[in-house]
Amino acid sequence: MDSSYVTSLIPPLAVFLPLAGALAGVGLGRVSERVRTVALGVVCAVTAALTLWLIPGILDGKVYETYLLRITPTIWLHLRVDALGALFAATVSIIWLLALVYSAGYMADGHRLGRYYAFFMLCLSWTLGLAYAGNLLTFLIFYELFSILTYPLVVHEETPAAMAAGTKYIIYILVGGSLVLLGVVFTFFLAGDQTLTVGGLLTADMDRTALLVVFWCFLAGFGVKAAIMPLHGWVPDAHPAAPAPFSAVLSGVMVAAGSFGIMRIVFQVFGVDLLEELGVMPYVAVLAAITVVFAAILAVSQDNLKRRLAYSTISQMGYVALGIGLLGAGSSTGAIVHITNHAFMKGTLFLCAGLLIKRAGIHNVSEMAGAAKRMPVTMAAFALAALGMIGTPPLSGFISKWYLGLGILEVDEPLYLAVLLGGALLAAIYLLPIVYAAYFKKPPALATAADEEDGREAPMSMLVPTVIASALTIALGLGATLPGFPYSLAEMAVEAFFR
Amino acid sequence: MEVYDIRPILAPTISLVCAGMVFLVGRNKHWRRFWMLSAAVLKLVVVMSMLPGSLRGIVYVFDMIDFTPGIGIGFRADALGMFFAVVSSTLWLFTTIYAIGYMKGEGQRVRFFGFFALCVSTTVGLAFAENLLTFFIFYEMLTICTYPLVIHDETPEAFRAGRKYLTYTLIGGACILVGAVMVFDATGTLSLSQPGILSTDISYNTLALIFALLIGGFSVKAAVMPLHGWLPSAMVAPTPVTALLHAVAVVKAGAFGILRTIYNVFGVDVLEDVGFTIPLAAIAGFTIIAASLVAIFQDNFKRRLAFSTISQLSYIVLGAALLTPFAATAAIVHIANQAFPKITMFFVAGAIQRKTGKTTVHELAGIGYRMPWTMGAFSVAAMSFIGMPLFAGFITKWYLSLGALESADYWVLIVMVVSSMLNAAYFLPIIYLAFFKAPPGTEMHVDEAPPTLLVPILICAAYVIILGTTAQVPGMPFSLAEAAVHFVFGL
Repeated sequence: MDSSYVTSLIPPLAVFLPLAGALAGVGLGRVSERVRTVALGVVCAVTAALTLWLIPGILDGKVYETYLLRITPTIWLHLRVDALGALFAATVSIIWLLALVYSAGYMADGHRLGRYYAFFMLCLSWTLGLAYAGNLLTFLIFYELFSILTYPLVVHEETPAAMAAGTKYIIYILVGGSLVLLGVVFTFFLAGDQTLTVGGLLTADMDRTALLVVFWCFLAGFGVKAAIMPLHGWVPDAHPAAPAPFSAVLSGVMVAAGSFGIMRIVFQVFGVDLLEELGVMPYVAVLAAITVVFAAILAVSQDNLKRRLAYSTISQMGYVALGIGLLGAGSSTGAIVHITNHAFMKGTLFLCAGLLIKRAGIHNVSEMAGAAKRMPVTMAAFALAALGMIGTPPLSGFISKWYLGLGILEVDEPLYLAVLLGGALLAAIYLLPIVYAAYFKKPPALATAADEEDGREAPMSMLVPTVIASALTIALGLGATLPGFPYSLAEMAVEAFFR
Repeated sequence: MEVYDIRPILAPTISLVCAGMVFLVGRNKHWRRFWMLSAAVLKLVVVMSMLPGSLRGIVYVFDMIDFTPGIGIGFRADALGMFFAVVSSTLWLFTTIYAIGYMKGEGQRVRFFGFFALCVSTTVGLAFAENLLTFFIFYEMLTICTYPLVIHDETPEAFRAGRKYLTYTLIGGACILVGAVMVFDATGTLSLSQPGILSTDISYNTLALIFALLIGGFSVKAAVMPLHGWLPSAMVAPTPVTALLHAVAVVKAGAFGILRTIYNVFGVDVLEDVGFTIPLAAIAGFTIIAASLVAIFQDNFKRRLAFSTISQLSYIVLGAALLTPFAATAAIVHIANQAFPKITMFFVAGAIQRKTGKTTVHELAGIGYRMPWTMGAFSVAAMSFIGMPLFAGFITKWYLSLGALESADYWVLIVMVVSSMLNAAYFLPIIYLAFFKAPPGTEMHVDEAPPTLLVPILICAAYVIILGTTAQVPGMPFSLAEAAVHFVFGL
């Protein structure tokens, strides 16, 4: 299927609509909190609809693109929607919509809401820009913007722990961003172009040392965001510190943005053939495998629930990096699908963790006993997502791991199959005890009636997005092969990359 | 194409006349303001009216007197000069508005505004100077005219700073004069209209001496380490002075002199042969890092900005010293890309000082709640220095990196990355204090600076974004920089 380029205004509209929403949000908040919530909800819903709207066309083999702005002869902004970008954008915007609705309940009576919502919407805008970036510089611009402008959300609570996490975050991100910039500049210098193309910008006749430097600059830069060990340090601090709806976004798609960057680099800057010749990818696979196992082991020992989930994110993103690192068509498909599947599962888990904090004051795994009695719906959603994460069929987590496993066999590296299974086993070890405690352990005697009152199920505004995210875990598992679902898009993307 | 036109001399004359009128009728507040503002606007109009022609490749020239053949006063608005003139006359307008608001109630305002206008006159004269002699005359005038502004407060500290300033810059000026004489002796001309007048026929030692004298002399004003000592002390001057003169006019005159020396006196080819720029690049790289390291430890707000200026100016020197087209583009556009964010920051420092009396960084906790627009503008400027895309500073960073790759000077990339990190290390804590670290009991109500201070701040901050996003729109100076680079490298 040959791709045909279509100029379209929908991608820039999807990118800039949340931007307008951010500005409007500040003003509307002065009018009334309710008006703002509804307005921003509508903006997010329309944005999500726009990103989904593009998918049928993509499946027909169209590629939407728009030239935005030529800043100087060597710096220009360009949006281009391919299958990979469309899938990531749709994932992002749906997660964001759920998190926004959830925020309305979670953040009520919080402080500095104007700042929170403004940056929340801004980040959606930048992340969509990242998904739709058609050249390296556009990618870099949105990457830097969303990395740095995430800071106010990370530190939103303004507790000392949050501030410390924020400082750590910004240092990691700035260093990572600089490395990415070096990679972009170097690529532009070597290739004289920066448009992301199938087959890659760089070619084998370029200086080998330079190519290696570019590759490791990019990998280290994006590796910070993608939390590939040993560059993961910011994740376990930043994720627990952020407010729950933003943790969901942070863990679900922000970390994935790093993996998404690595995919763009591997498939569209270097290209599969060149990387095979350079022989660097086995190292990436080893790093990823170490990340999968080691982060999962660390997760087991965490008592703080959100921290445990953060380590789980590191481990799961390791799967994605592993899938790419093996440089096989099947494993790459699995990696792409896993980004989406993981986003909704991890989103659910963090939203549930937020509900547990808010309604029952539960911060730690050791306090989970009997939580299901008090919050049955929340815990059901949690259990479902946890089972998905472990890879129980027919949930979505199983689908991505299945393809990853097939991919591993396809490239004939059975050792990594052990990593895959080990990661899943460890996921069971760090997630199932939570579910077990919630359902089967006796709750501690409640001291007062006030505790009882606290421990009830959350209001609908928070519960509904949580349940939807959790339901998507089933839908993405059962409907995995339907056209328009992640697998079809991932397959399309991979077919092009491995042509 | 050269066109004989009066405008290259008209531009400096306007501010000269304005300065005269301020001295004459400046006792009256309204007349003083009238002359200041109308001169600033008029000059901007004159300079801007040359821009369309300049962009089409027209060079406006105006020759005045020839003392003896080859030595005379002449004006010539080429692309590089126009770039500098556009930046400084645009900023003069904003600084004038700011200064009127800032200096309310200060003493000696006639002297202040008179010399202020003179400084801008000489800056534009310098931008349009056709030969080294004209350049030198305006360069020295600038030194003299700045002195009364530096010592404006007439405190012992101010006089000390003034003395230090004169000592540094006059010695620098003397070096330039000797260098210029040697250039004339070697070539029989002082013209700045060619892409280089010296050739490798001249003995290596003579060339080296000329290079050392000219670059050394200009480096004093450009505050290249170790010749930067005057700049942090001169921060005792009132804020509009530090803003315009120490972010734009004086320091940029030095940097501009270095650009002229490299591109118009020596020429790229000659310098590539003799390799004098290699140590210059190393010194500039050192200055970028060292000044930033010092800046981190400055608690005085304006001193921190001063060391940041020293670091940023060396981007221009480094870009020029790399001798590649991309690096040259970076050097030239950084004249604007450093000026706008830095002047924003100085304006912010001044507004905070006027409004709250706070002069040190640690006192700024929670200031973002009181002056959100002011600190918002500061954040924009800081992002630019850190090199965030879509802000002005990124364009410099991008071109300088490409230029370093072109000349295979990979260490420059490291310098750039480290410098970005250091900029983050001394600017982000200010934003952090202002917006995220309100001490308990901070008043949350907004109490902004008056409009005469706030409006210039916001316009300059807007420029930082405009320069970073629409550099190529007709009428923006980026294409001038490109034209200058094409001329210099004969592309």
